[in-house]
Formats: sequence, structure tokens, C-alpha cells
Amino acid sequence: MSDERDKLIAEVVEKALQGEMDAINNIEDRVTRSKAKAALAKAKRAQTADSSPQIEASITGESTAPNTLSDNPNQKVGERISEKFPDSRDGEVADTHIQLKPDQWNEIAAWLKTEEDLLFDSLQCITGIDLGENVLEARYNLHSMKHRNAIEIRIAVSRDIAQIPSIEQVWRIGDWFERETYDMYGIRFTGHRDLRRILLPEDWEGWPLRKDYEVQETYHGIMVPKVKEGWE
Amino acid sequence: MGVVHGQEMVLNIGPQHPSTHGVLRLQVKTDGEIISEIKPFIGYLHRCFEKHCENVTYEQVIPFTDRCDYLASMANNFGYVVAMEELMEIKVPERVEYIRVIMAELQRIASHLLALGTFGLDVGAFTPFLYMFRDRERILDMFEMTCGARLLYNYMWVGGLSHDLPIGFVESAFRFLDYFEPKIEEYNNILTYNKIFIERTADVGVMPADVAISYGVSGPNLRGSGVKWDIRKDEPYSIYDRFDFDVPVGIGEKGNLGDCWDRFNVRLTEMGESIKILRQALTQIPKNGDVHQTIPKKIRPPKGSIYKRTETPRGDLGFYIISDGSPIPNRLKMRSPAFTALSVLDEIGRGWMLSDVIAILGSLDIVLGEIDR
Repeated sequence: MSDERDKLIAEVVEKALQGEMDAINNIEDRVTRSKAKAALAKAKRAQTADSSPQIEASITGESTAPNTLSDNPNQKVGERISEKFPDSRDGEVADTHIQLKPDQWNEIAAWLKTEEDLLFDSLQCITGIDLGENVLEARYNLHSMKHRNAIEIRIAVSRDIAQIPSIEQVWRIGDWFERETYDMYGIRFTGHRDLRRILLPEDWEGWPLRKDYEVQETYHGIMVPKVKEGWE
Repeated sequence: MGVVHGQEMVLNIGPQHPSTHGVLRLQVKTDGEIISEIKPFIGYLHRCFEKHCENVTYEQVIPFTDRCDYLASMANNFGYVVAMEELMEIKVPERVEYIRVIMAELQRIASHLLALGTFGLDVGAFTPFLYMFRDRERILDMFEMTCGARLLYNYMWVGGLSHDLPIGFVESAFRFLDYFEPKIEEYNNILTYNKIFIERTADVGVMPADVAISYGVSGPNLRGSGVKWDIRKDEPYSIYDRFDFDVPVGIGEKGNLGDCWDRFNVRLTEMGESIKILRQALTQIPKNGDVHQTIPKKIRPPKGSIYKRTETPRGDLGFYIISDGSPIPNRLKMRSPAFTALSVLDEIGRGWMLSDVIAILGSLDIVLGEIDR
């Protein structure tokens, strides 16, 4: 019995790895199905683990690739973006950051991550800011693990159409960072697959980190204490 | 008889549960014992850190940073003051730099001891937890001797420190190191190379390097996946470039690269490296110097913004500070390493059994105070 089961499991795992999940789901015996799923998970891990040393080598390997951006990466990357995506820049060239328009952000992000001599594979932080005068801004700090460069992208939007394309599928951590920015500033990241509040309760009203935020009076019948004026 | 399909069940772990390391709720979808989806719900400990910061002066932010990562308060103080000093272009005296590094490395050992102990607890090893708390206590005693507090210090100030080292601190620190160094071997015997522990952790929760980077995982978790990245080495801040130490990385000794055992072992090895740094710093520290000398009377940074990262026991801690020239921050964002570490749980926890997910969560070493802020 046990031999038969092992054989069956090996067979369906093989099928599932080629994309036929039905083979597993159609197993009638519950215990066998669970075991098959566990075996499948293990097989998948083994596959990814096999491929990881190469990835790791490309990241940690003492690369001697010329670091063409070492001084003033913001300006140089900004120029590259202008070449590749004309009309995507917003405002003048600056040393400290790259100001972009929201429209093409998703494509630019994917390009920044994969382009051979840029390789910004790590999204460090997304910071939302209320600049006043009806303008909200999201700032992205990017870092390249291979070339050891860091740049900052800024995208400003008006409060009335506070929408920025989501880069959640480019850098996976963008998922939670964008949810946090949405939670605090109400910037909608279009294309995000699961845009919910993250730190505050789902039914909270208002966007707390906007400068004109006023706390709601009650929450589920409970008085909400006001922020005290002048902390001493 | 017709086909009986197994039913998926949604199960809540937490918010009050010892193995969630704080108030964290995990909504897991299970098929029998196999986990098919994990949804972390956070925010139970949200104390509006960033909103508060916009209402207090720059000095008053420091006690709040203590309360974010309450297991490594010194490291959080350090990250904030380093960012502020770079923004204000303050150069602090040598003695202050050395004391800061000494405190930060002691804190790293204390934090790792707690992380390793509770990880052992999660997978059923109770004794090492007590051993590690015994040793952590001695570090807390030294902090208490220095600034009077055991957990929340408010010790590092912008431009200096709240107190100088007390008389006899250096000697007692050397005594502690002499006592502690052989203890690492003891932990190895009692936990690291224990057969049951290896069975529970090796090959479990494998996190490939590219997944870790895409999820912004940092610190020992990232190094456990074999990526040699440590801000103390790669983007040195303060005086870390003066010390000779190694950056331990996982090599997949007991299973696949990036499993729970690797992350555990990286933390354990790192304590040895911290001891190396401490010995050098305690030997080189200048005898004299005023720790209040460069503290500005009024903190008014120039207009501008800065993003600065430092290496805490949990990974890259970033502060994004925007100043409008007033004594109150216009915006202060904290990028916490535990936040990113928790977000990867769903990706690496799928397909494992419930008990393994608890082990994976323990190996990530999260602190909810820092995630919820």
C-alpha cells in the first residue's frame, strides 16, 4: 500500500510541476492528497534552491563591472530615464532626486530593476508627504545590491486625483509599503492587487498623516481622544 | 460513495498568542495540516509614531524611537541620531563615537540572545531560553549602570550622549566578554547542533536570495540567504570602518541555503563578531572627552531631507527626515526592518505545516513594536 502511494505521489508531483494541479486535486484519499501537496511544496523549494546559488553569485560575486554612476547617480539615472522615456520627467534636473510624472512609472520601475547597468533590485522605502497646496508626494528610495548605488524617485500628484501606478509586482515589498502610504495619505496605487488599510482598522475615516487631518469624533460609539495642542 | 473533498479551513493565530512574538494576528488557510495561505494582520500596537513626531521637537523624538523596537532601543537611538547629525553636519567627539558603538554592539548581543532563545522556545527547546536570558541580564545590568534604564534608554542624543560611562564600566565590560565568549560554544552544544533542533529547522522555510531582496528583507535574515550585505561594512557610518570584523553569511550547512537553521546560525555567529568589535572598541576608546560638548542648544536643521540607513540587530533601519527649518520635523518616516521581514512570511510559509510556520515566524525575529510603530 505504502509503495503504491509513494509511486502515486511521485507521479502527481511530476505532473503538477509541469502545471497540472488537477492531478493532485483529484486524488480521493485525503491523507495521500496532503502528502502529495507537501511533496510538491518540497519539490518546488528544491527547484528554487537549485537556482539560487547562481542568483546569489550574481549579487555577491565580486563584480568588477564599472560603476558608471558612482558620483551623482540621481542626475545620471535621470538623464537615462529621459532618453528612454521621453516626456516622463517632471521639473528640472536635481542632484538629490529624480522627479517623475506618474503616467509611465510602472514601466520605468520595471526598466530600472532589470536594465543591466542599473539593476535597482531593492526598494528601500516609500515615504508619503503632504506638501500643502493640494499636493501629495510619494518618494521612493531605491538601491542596487550589485552596483551599490542609491537613487530617490519623487512623484507628486494632486489631492483630487491622487493616483500613482502600483509597482507592487516589480518589487514585492511595494505591496506593504504602498498599503501603508495609502493608509496614511489616501494615495491610490492603481493596479495594486490588495489595496487595503494596513495599520489602521478597515473602517477608519480620513487620512491621518495629511496636514489638515481631523480625528473623527467617535469610532464604534467610543470617544476618540483629540491630539493635545502643544506637547510639553 | 461519492468523492469526499477536503475542506479548507480558515484559522486565526493570535492576536494574543505566545508564538506570535507580540500582538500579531495571522489568518491562515489550512488544508489539513498544510498551510495554503498566510495573511498577517498588523496594527494592534500602532501608536501613531510618525504623527507624534510631527508634533514634538527633534529631541523629543528620541524616546519614541526607543519604544519602536523595544528589544534594541540603543540601535534605534543610534539610527536616528546618525541621520540627524548628517542632516545638521555635526561631528561628535571620538569618545562619543566609541561609546555609541560599544552600546550598539552590546545591544546587538542582547537582542540576538532574546531572538535565539525565543526561537528555541518556539520549536520546543525550553532550557536554552533560560540560559540566554541569564546572559542577557548581565548586559541589561550594564545598561542600567550607564543610564539607569534597562530597556528604554533615551541614551544617545543628537550631538552627544545623556551620560558619560560610569567609573568601572570598561572593566566590567571586559569581564562580561571574558565570561560570555565561551558561552557561545555552550549554546552550540545545547541548541545549534542538537539533532531535534536541526530536524525542526533545517530545510524549513527556505528563502532564496532574490525573493529576500525583492521583499526588502535585510539584516541577519538576508545574510542567512547567502547575501553578504551589512551596512556596517558596505556603507560604514559612525566609526565602523575602523574595526576588523567579518560578516557571517548562511552557507546551507544543514540543508538548503536560506532555511531557518541558516538564519539562526548567522545570528549566533554574529554575536562572536560583535565581541570582536567590542574588544577593539573598549581597548581604543579615548580616556577623556566631554559627551555633552557638541550637543546643540537648539536643534534647527537646515531645510532639506535625508534618508539614512543603519544596521540594527534586525536589519536596515532607515529614517527619512524632512526638515522645513523649524525645530519640529515636517515629516519623519521610519523604515523598519521587521516590517519587511514579516511581509515575506506568506511567500516562504506556504506549503508548510502549521508547526513549521511557527518556526519560520520565529526565525524571522520580528518585533511588533517596530512593525506597527
